[in-house]
Amino acid sequence: MQPPRPILAVAAVATLFISLPVIGLLQRTPWSSLDELLSSESVIRPLLLSLLVSVIAALVVIVLGTPLAWTLARVDMPGRRVIRALVLLPMVLPPVVGGTALLFALGRRGLIGQWLDRWFGLTLPFTTLGAIVAAVFVALPFYVITVEGTLESGSDELEQMASTLGAKPTGVLRRITLPRLLPAVGAGTALAWARALGEFGATITFAGNLPGRTQTLPLATFLALESDTEEALALSLVMLAVSLAVLVPMRSRWLPGRRTEQ
Amino acid sequence: MSALLTSLLACSGSDTDNLTVFAASSLTDVLPDLAEAFEEQTGTTITAVFGGSNHLAAQLRDGAPADTFLTADARFLGTKGLTGQSISFATNHLVVAVPSGNPAGLASVADLARSELRVVVCAESVPCGAATSHMGIRIEADSREPSVRAVLSRLSLGEADVGIVYASDVLAVPQVEEAWPQPRACPCIAYVGVAITDSATPFIKFMGSSAAAEILSAHGFSTETSG
Repeated sequence: MQPPRPILAVAAVATLFISLPVIGLLQRTPWSSLDELLSSESVIRPLLLSLLVSVIAALVVIVLGTPLAWTLARVDMPGRRVIRALVLLPMVLPPVVGGTALLFALGRRGLIGQWLDRWFGLTLPFTTLGAIVAAVFVALPFYVITVEGTLESGSDELEQMASTLGAKPTGVLRRITLPRLLPAVGAGTALAWARALGEFGATITFAGNLPGRTQTLPLATFLALESDTEEALALSLVMLAVSLAVLVPMRSRWLPGRRTEQ
Repeated sequence: MSALLTSLLACSGSDTDNLTVFAASSLTDVLPDLAEAFEEQTGTTITAVFGGSNHLAAQLRDGAPADTFLTADARFLGTKGLTGQSISFATNHLVVAVPSGNPAGLASVADLARSELRVVVCAESVPCGAATSHMGIRIEADSREPSVRAVLSRLSLGEADVGIVYASDVLAVPQVEEAWPQPRACPCIAYVGVAITDSATPFIKFMGSSAAAEILSAHGFSTETSG
């Protein structure tokens, strides 16, 4: 079938709309001094920190998010819709508000934070752990919504059959539910990781900004924009490259939209 | 529909009864008072946009619509193409500040190098950070915030034990105080107001008036007329 022309035209406009800023960025990039910029401490440090923070955040998201998604999809309990709305809140909430909320909860004078400080001498703001907490907060919903969607749409017939045939609940979980969930786990992790990598507002509000400790790539870019445009452009290019390097191979395997492996 | 479009694309620059003022974030508390006095005199209202001086300067260079710019960093005005009528209207001094009551018991500048204290200062790319690094004291910073108001909020929320902010900031927030009485010594910063559109000229004149100086010094800024 020949695809309808108007649809193709709008799709082209949409693609252009997304790619134009990227082209703008590339066109301003100082290619001649790029080598030097990319190997400088002020680019390497935030890059390494960003990778560390976003990867740990993604792992925490899997550990916390999988049981949560399963519970939301499969357990019939009162207030499920309220809990789901609450869990998805960070997707809609401006990250700066999220960061402020984290301060009031986990900051040194916060609801829980004051006890962490008093009992364990643990304060999250101004630490790498704080940056990870901020990243988990904003990224978790992206994972939960992806995995939950798959759990809900996939019927539980197989699981029930296995139980009828005498499999224990943990065996059903391990041998049927989890393997069927893997593609969604991959997609959810990719989305959550991408969100964690790009996180800015909650991080700078909650964790602060210190090179090597809490200054991730987005923070370094924002601050460099005020003083050194070339450095800011180099940092932006690094973010772009890292994001593409992960998203392009993942697109066909895991991200929703193509169902080759079902 | 067209009305909606107009409002989506509107620049306030051409409006004669309203001036858009881009202002250094350390002017956050004093500008509303200045605006009120200016409106009483002239009937012109002020729309204020606050931010780090260099961040705002970059936005102006990229065509952000403003009638006038009150900056804490006059060094780059020329290179950013901001060459209108200008006036230096106040100075501000850095002070070592703590949450009220000084819970961490800060006693001297030497404490700023104590690693167990949570020390927060401005990033070097904003004027207060540049001035902080010229103070010549050793600081073990836990965070370099993107604006002086962010440092202030760390102190008022009690997240930081000590920070370096402007003397005017300490007056603005009751939860924050000077760590100990400090002289108003330099390195300090000078505020410059520059007219971007012609309609801002009366406002620039007003910023140099004794009425403006009175309001500024009531907020902890130093002005030439008040000493």
